[in-house]
Amino acid sequence: MHRIRIVLLVCLFACGGGNPPPKPLEHIALPSGALLDPYDASKPGEARPLYTTQLGGRVYASLGNLNPSTFAPAGPGFLASIDPITGQVEAINLGGTSRHQCTNPGVVRQDSQKLYVACAGDFSGTTPGRGVFEVDPTTKAVTRGLVTGTGYVPSGVAVTATKIWVGDNAKPQLISIDRTTFAAADGADAAHPPIPVPCPSTGKGPFVPYVGIVNGDLYALCATTEAGLLARFDAQTGAAKGSVAVGAEPTEFTATGDGRIAVVNSNDNTMTLVTPGATLSAQVALTFNSATATLQDVKARGRFLYTVASTSNTVQKIDLAAPGGPKVVADANTGLASNPFNLEALDDDTVVVVNWATSDVVAPQLKTVQ
Amino acid sequence: MPRAFAALRRSIRFAPPALTAFVVAVVPLRARGEEPRPEAEPVEIVVTGAPGSARAPAAQSTVIQADQFAGEVRSVAEMLSASPGVSLHALGGPGQATTLSLRGASADQSLVLLDGIPLHGPGGGAVDLATLPASLLDRLVISRGVLGAQFGAGALGGVVELIPRRPRNDRAAADARLTAGSFGTFGASTSASVPWSAEGGGLVALQVDRSAGDFPYDQQLTPEIAGSPYYDFTRANADSWRGSALLRGGWPIAGESGVDVLFQGSIGERGLPGSAASPTPRSREVDHSGLLGARFRGAAGPAAYSVRAWADVDRIELRGVSAFGDCADGTPDCPRSLQSASAARGEVEMGAPLGERQWVRGSVTAGMDRATGDATGFHRRGVFSASLSDDVRLGAVSLFPALRVDVVGKDAGLSPAIATTVRPWSAPIELRAGAGLSFRAPTFSELYLRQGGLAPNTDLAPERGRSIDVGVAYRSAKLTVSAGAFVSWYRDLIVYESFPPAAVKPFNVGSARISGFELQAVAALPYRLTVQLAYTALQATNTRPGTLEGHSLPYRPPHRLFVRVAHHADRFESYAEANATASMPRNQFDTAFLPAQLLINAGAGARVAGTLWIDVEAKNLLDDRTMQDLFQYPLPGLSLAVIARARL
Repeated sequence: MHRIRIVLLVCLFACGGGNPPPKPLEHIALPSGALLDPYDASKPGEARPLYTTQLGGRVYASLGNLNPSTFAPAGPGFLASIDPITGQVEAINLGGTSRHQCTNPGVVRQDSQKLYVACAGDFSGTTPGRGVFEVDPTTKAVTRGLVTGTGYVPSGVAVTATKIWVGDNAKPQLISIDRTTFAAADGADAAHPPIPVPCPSTGKGPFVPYVGIVNGDLYALCATTEAGLLARFDAQTGAAKGSVAVGAEPTEFTATGDGRIAVVNSNDNTMTLVTPGATLSAQVALTFNSATATLQDVKARGRFLYTVASTSNTVQKIDLAAPGGPKVVADANTGLASNPFNLEALDDDTVVVVNWATSDVVAPQLKTVQ
Repeated sequence: MPRAFAALRRSIRFAPPALTAFVVAVVPLRARGEEPRPEAEPVEIVVTGAPGSARAPAAQSTVIQADQFAGEVRSVAEMLSASPGVSLHALGGPGQATTLSLRGASADQSLVLLDGIPLHGPGGGAVDLATLPASLLDRLVISRGVLGAQFGAGALGGVVELIPRRPRNDRAAADARLTAGSFGTFGASTSASVPWSAEGGGLVALQVDRSAGDFPYDQQLTPEIAGSPYYDFTRANADSWRGSALLRGGWPIAGESGVDVLFQGSIGERGLPGSAASPTPRSREVDHSGLLGARFRGAAGPAAYSVRAWADVDRIELRGVSAFGDCADGTPDCPRSLQSASAARGEVEMGAPLGERQWVRGSVTAGMDRATGDATGFHRRGVFSASLSDDVRLGAVSLFPALRVDVVGKDAGLSPAIATTVRPWSAPIELRAGAGLSFRAPTFSELYLRQGGLAPNTDLAPERGRSIDVGVAYRSAKLTVSAGAFVSWYRDLIVYESFPPAAVKPFNVGSARISGFELQAVAALPYRLTVQLAYTALQATNTRPGTLEGHSLPYRPPHRLFVRVAHHADRFESYAEANATASMPRNQFDTAFLPAQLLINAGAGARVAGTLWIDVEAKNLLDDRTMQDLFQYPLPGLSLAVIARARL
């Protein structure tokens, strides 16, 4: 009897017209099981997609192929080739004949109809699986590659006509690859040392998470737990050309439509806009509302920026030309516990997002709402 | 009156508070002439002369009588919220892990003692308050400040002493209590007390709790858009159950000598639901803990002494837990993770008068701490401490110097402290001031835990802290008001930092300054009404050189206010309370904040027959379903409960 009364009382106070959660987005599953060529057939990995790029109407995503519990590589690294219109997914095996040529693939870039992907191995800097590999998307094969030397853990990749620049996840430095011969250049030997990247003086664990080419210059991020720097270099020689402070533990940057550089900072929930010139200047352009956004990606399309907030499972569209300054004009949820990592904008209102935790792809709408 | 006891009474006349405390600790209730509090009856709160802690008589302290909440569903954490200087970190609803922060210090820097025995988590660190049975407690004493000299290494923010219920010495008694409430929450507790001699008796108390934990909550799915809608969700995998037992017994031997024994055990299981954004529906936790202690007490001439031995063990097993979420328990890649910690101590404590104006107390403790687990391996370390304290009465001024040396494995340190109380006027006003210096040795988890992305650091050094505080208190028959201010400095704080290539590792890199103001008041009003108020203002500043210097420490509310009005009469009782917490930073950069929260609870009950009371209670009366804890775990909205209790 007491229980019935309690239920009635609870209902009296609490049973109101609710707002049921929206239906989950339709998703495209990424390869799994035997399709990921597991080292142990009884313990296949999960796709765990990270970075993306677009080429020829398809979205390419690097797949970690990780053990679902230990997160160690369960097989070779892959690229997923995704047709966002049909939902068709093809897997490109990066493991080579040894099946260990590339593990833990990360940043993937496209240039001149080729894909370039950095593989981190087990992040120790000593085991196989580390290097930078060129992939022909038409043949779905690795065409060239460079296994990086002991101590280097490739992170970001930036491609110029003559060199491929590679950031180091273990130390704040850059190495380069001669694009013609695919031989090591900067960092090849003692006579050609790596290019040091300036880093903040505070915080732990300085490393280079991302590199890129903007207006012909090479840019590299250095991240620590407390701070970040965006440094500029000559894209041919690696000569330093200044740096500017950004937010805490920056993850990615992109050139904006108005000639600036947008940097997302994962630890302090901010986006920084850097203005290139004779010197670099920077300002915090946006502080995200969600308490723990863990910003992972930023891409540009015209006046808009698109960002990924991994911990809040959301992606945003930001209008750089909004009155009063940059403003989030659309926000979409990619699913509970999905941990989105990267996105590609197909048009102003549609993005393709890869979800790290759920190993799938969704395409939420980002129509301007405010 | 035996000679020894007469000497003790003579000492009490010049009222060194520590002596009073010592007597409380080692002399049976009957000998102190106190009447045990009747169980399961409304209690009129006595607002005079709250004695504070036995070990730190001049510390800023709060005493919370557990039986004032007899008609309510209260966890240990909820009871503690009535004290200033307390901040609670709860991972969700009933039965979910809850830790404590005192004066802005971390959970690892706040000691929790059960009957004087320090508790610890399975990794040697923070105590999960949700595993402690509230109905088995008599009172809670919260002492704030760097109190290593009085309580031992680790007391950098303060100490919570949980005083378990005592056996009755006058007659057999028993009580029972049943609760039922929202979200499939049920509880039952009972106790029986039997006297077996004039000064000896035993107590058995049991408590069982269960909650389905499936409460509704509201969540924004697109929080970057101002005013975006909230959607309804139901919490999953947040169920819990727990069984606890307390056994106490006391046997007089001869004269003032006697032996008492304490056992407390607990076993429980709960789901680990994860945050709102990243639920973990397959993760579970099973825990067991037990504590056994025995104490011989006696008197030798004017001195009183006790010899005590105790041992405890905490064991926790995680199921379906992986580094970045949950996994399928029982599969080859999802092994169960077992972690346990145990401790054993032997302790000798003695107090004796020194002249007419001093009471000197000393203690020596030695023992062993041990931890074993899949993630830490097996480790043990010796523990030794020796302390000396003095209570000096010089007219209106009392001085309380104390010094303690602690050796914890390879770490050793001195903890000095000095406190004073002054009664300068004839009015019942007391001025207090104190200063302390101490340290906290790294826990086994910090030294050895290797799990997921966590790396161990065996080179860690102890954290160091020092504090000063001043206060004033007014106590009369109807009103107690105390106010105090403090500032604490911490250095070598252990902070988990990024450790390339893909881990985080603890380092001694943090430093902080925390200052604050605390106010508490209890007033007895007409019509058997009692009003309680506790307010805390806190400024916690990161002083680590670099980018973070000058920023706020996260998860410390700058303001917290607790107000409670209660009415207890012969046939009726009721209460209403409000707990307001200001918005607080969620990260180290002051760029993310937890919104301010207001929690209002109320209840009422009546004695319907004999000693049978029936109460109803509503928590979170505003039905705010958007509240989250510090780590984005949803908290329950409105919940109702019915409580029946009777003395048998």
